[in-house]
Amino acid sequence: MGEFKVHRVRFFNYVPSGIRCVAYNNQSNRLAVSRTDGTVEVYNLSANYFQEKFFPGHESRATEALCWAEGQRLFSAGLNGEIMEYDLQALNIKYAVDAFGGPIWSMAASPSGSQLLVGCEDGSVKLFQITPDKIQFERNFDRQKSRILSLSWHPSGTHIAAGSIDYISVFDVKSGSAVHKMIVDRQYMGVSKRKCIVWGVAFLSDGTVISVDSAGKVQFWDSATGTLVKSHLIANADVQSIAVAEQEDSFVVGTAEGTVFHFQLVPVTSNSSEKQWVRTKPFQHHTHDVRTVAHSPTALISGGTDTHLVIRPLMEKVEVKNYDAALRKITFPHRRLISCSKKRQLLLFQFAHHLELWRLGSTVATGKNGDTLPLSKNADHLLHLKTKGPENIICSCISPCGSWIAYSTVSRFFLYRLNYEHDNISLKRVSKMPPFLRSALQILFSEDSTKLFVASNQGALHIVQLSGGSFKHLHAFQPQSGTVEAMCLLAVSSDGNWLAASGTSAGVHVYNVKQLKLHCTVPAYNFPVTAMAIAPNTNNLVIAHSDQQVFEYSIPDKQYTDWSRTVQKQGFHHLWLQRDTPITHISFHPKRPMHILLHDAYMFCIIDKSLPLPNDKTLLYNPFPPTNESDVVRRRTAHAFKISKIYKPLLFMDLLDERTLVAVERPLDDIIAQLPPPIKKKKFGT
Amino acid sequence: MVQLRPRASRAPASAEAMVDEGQPASEEEEAEHGLLLGQPSSGAAAEPLEEDEEGDDEFDDEAPEELTFASAQAEAREEERRVRETVRRDKTLLKEKRKRREELFIEQKKRKLLPDTILEKLTTASQTNVKKSPGKVKEVNLQKKNEDCEKGNDSKKVKVQKVQSVSQNKSYLAVRLKDQDLRDSRQAAAQAFIHNSLYGPGTNRTTVNKFLSLANKRLPVKKAAVQFLNNAWGIQKKQNAKRFKRRWMVRKMKTKK
Repeated sequence: MGEFKVHRVRFFNYVPSGIRCVAYNNQSNRLAVSRTDGTVEVYNLSANYFQEKFFPGHESRATEALCWAEGQRLFSAGLNGEIMEYDLQALNIKYAVDAFGGPIWSMAASPSGSQLLVGCEDGSVKLFQITPDKIQFERNFDRQKSRILSLSWHPSGTHIAAGSIDYISVFDVKSGSAVHKMIVDRQYMGVSKRKCIVWGVAFLSDGTVISVDSAGKVQFWDSATGTLVKSHLIANADVQSIAVAEQEDSFVVGTAEGTVFHFQLVPVTSNSSEKQWVRTKPFQHHTHDVRTVAHSPTALISGGTDTHLVIRPLMEKVEVKNYDAALRKITFPHRRLISCSKKRQLLLFQFAHHLELWRLGSTVATGKNGDTLPLSKNADHLLHLKTKGPENIICSCISPCGSWIAYSTVSRFFLYRLNYEHDNISLKRVSKMPPFLRSALQILFSEDSTKLFVASNQGALHIVQLSGGSFKHLHAFQPQSGTVEAMCLLAVSSDGNWLAASGTSAGVHVYNVKQLKLHCTVPAYNFPVTAMAIAPNTNNLVIAHSDQQVFEYSIPDKQYTDWSRTVQKQGFHHLWLQRDTPITHISFHPKRPMHILLHDAYMFCIIDKSLPLPNDKTLLYNPFPPTNESDVVRRRTAHAFKISKIYKPLLFMDLLDERTLVAVERPLDDIIAQLPPPIKKKKFGT
Repeated sequence: MVQLRPRASRAPASAEAMVDEGQPASEEEEAEHGLLLGQPSSGAAAEPLEEDEEGDDEFDDEAPEELTFASAQAEAREEERRVRETVRRDKTLLKEKRKRREELFIEQKKRKLLPDTILEKLTTASQTNVKKSPGKVKEVNLQKKNEDCEKGNDSKKVKVQKVQSVSQNKSYLAVRLKDQDLRDSRQAAAQAFIHNSLYGPGTNRTTVNKFLSLANKRLPVKKAAVQFLNNAWGIQKKQNAKRFKRRWMVRKMKTKK
């Protein structure tokens, strides 16, 4: 493989925002996740839990509720008082309707999917009718005294339970009047000065209302009589979320201490027909508040302030007990936030509202394998570029020569020119962007930095020629058939002839840049593409998919390469297919055409195409072979996949030149150190 | 007019003295009463009474002053004039002050408003619009136009084109401050509520430092607690120390050689 000097970078101060709401859609097995900065991400749970779409956030948007309605329509409501619908095909926000009730705290879609209920700050519950292209205000229910923090529909659609501060009201949908008002105790068996906030309610079809509140109680109420049936004290802190399964035989609650409890309806004795709700399983996968939970038919999904998305399949619901039934924790982003300029050794970090440009340090020392070399020159923070406006940055890129920076938000596209004089840099913005260059899903510069490729969210692909300080629009490839995906990836060959774009469900399109026409299309695969790159001399396109399959396609020959066919015939090693995190970057060695370097969050791998492939019996993760072992043994155990887990968690890894690698790590403790404070837990002996 | 003053310390001859002095006192009082017509008599009477009490002891033997009516009248008139003049001066001063303040306010208001050119353009544009739809209010019109302007270049209404000619290079959005303030304050109040209920007083929260140290304390090999460094502390001191070290090294090298 060779010897490399590795730049271990830990100054990328990436802190993801906490998860605020989660909504599970049963028909398409998709999960919509909304974060505290306003970003909404859609995960495809059947495609190996891959994030396939996302809507960038906005500073003024503080989403408090998210729900799916009939026909795969996604709605969100927040503290700015507006209900927004997201267009999953065009990847933008369709419209925002002001509910005129102040900040919106909760939202629920009716079981039929045609009506939307919204609970506002002023205590009013508003009913909206979902029309094919918009939502229409229908009427107000009886106004309550304090803010409505949680809502739940009865499965038949006739009644509604609304949780507020210190009480729960049950409304009749037809008349809109409050039928019952159930007062919640402020503390389990006691008195307290602090008001009891009912964070979640759930309405079951037998008329039971389940409420979770800030005193740590889970209470069962009978909605016909408006009385308390049972009360469980499960935590010392708030219980912040509740989700009921569709069959109504189990529900899950999340607490502020990070524990998730599973309640199930079990018969009282083994052969009796009477059933009762019993708290069966506690799960401690979070360290901070669990602000939202969801219950899919086979798994419990939870997310909270500690930014992890945890999906826990329930063993009794899973049919086949294989690796699919393991715990999934999604912490790191599924797309690349870092771009690298190899010539000048610069790294561009993308944050939500600013970009940072760093120059890597250098060292003059040498050492042997495993040594840490002292830096003679520290890494330099060259530029801190803040974006104008409240919108989040979608994508950014720096050109390989280091003189152009481009980034895009939802409404604007920014292009900057950098000048380097000795040790200083100066920045100049290229004004007057053309109108079609508005919001880009992916930006890429060509290897010689003369061309800029922009994939816009309407599906078109633009080629812009850069020269000096100005640009000229060369060509726009119109969208092909198939729906546009948000994980649009671009790859350009190093000679500048070929451009590969994966943005549609029709497969990866390869365009001829010199002749400006479509060259070929790689056949569509049912799992989304997570990373793509074109090899320098052979012009082979290497594609990695979310189910950990890696394909190699030869662009000049318009067919899969022989090596790729061999790999597909034999299949990957089972441990390779069981990796949790998707491959986010692929790169190549300039002098060794048989090597492919790829990485995911917990490992990086160099695939040597000249060595034999491993079968399921061989060891996939080879440690460094000790030198005193005989050559024969080493040759027998050597296989094509050289995997190293030294640097983790990896956000980015690339080859700077023949003997240098750069690895950007983000230790989990550094993220935890910047999160809001957790609940105090008293441990014995401390 | 004759006021009897009680003289407890005096001998029986005091009654005579009182009668004698009553007259000059009354003369003075009369004159003074003639002078100070507008003022309440009690005030006027109080002063000369007190003065005369002490004065009478000394000027017991001397004859009272003789004042002609004319001179007294002249004095009184002068006093009056003086008083009136001071009043007038005060009034004019106040007026001037008020004027200056008004001007200052007008200037400040002017500074706050948009420059005249833009206002002219806006008013002319709105007038033409008003001609088209006479029923609308100007304010509402302005707001609507600005909303159209915000929607972007895609809409093909004639109104929008007019607005585009007004705002050539700039793209701005005009909203009523009253509405925006209300919305912002409500959102801020809502966020404060959430923050208070989750992280406010009464919640059992611990710091990140303690949270990370807890794990260290429970390990089989106990480690020290986590400490956060503040790199921004004492930057100047560190820089000075660095500079001093460099200079000292150079000096050391020189002396060694």
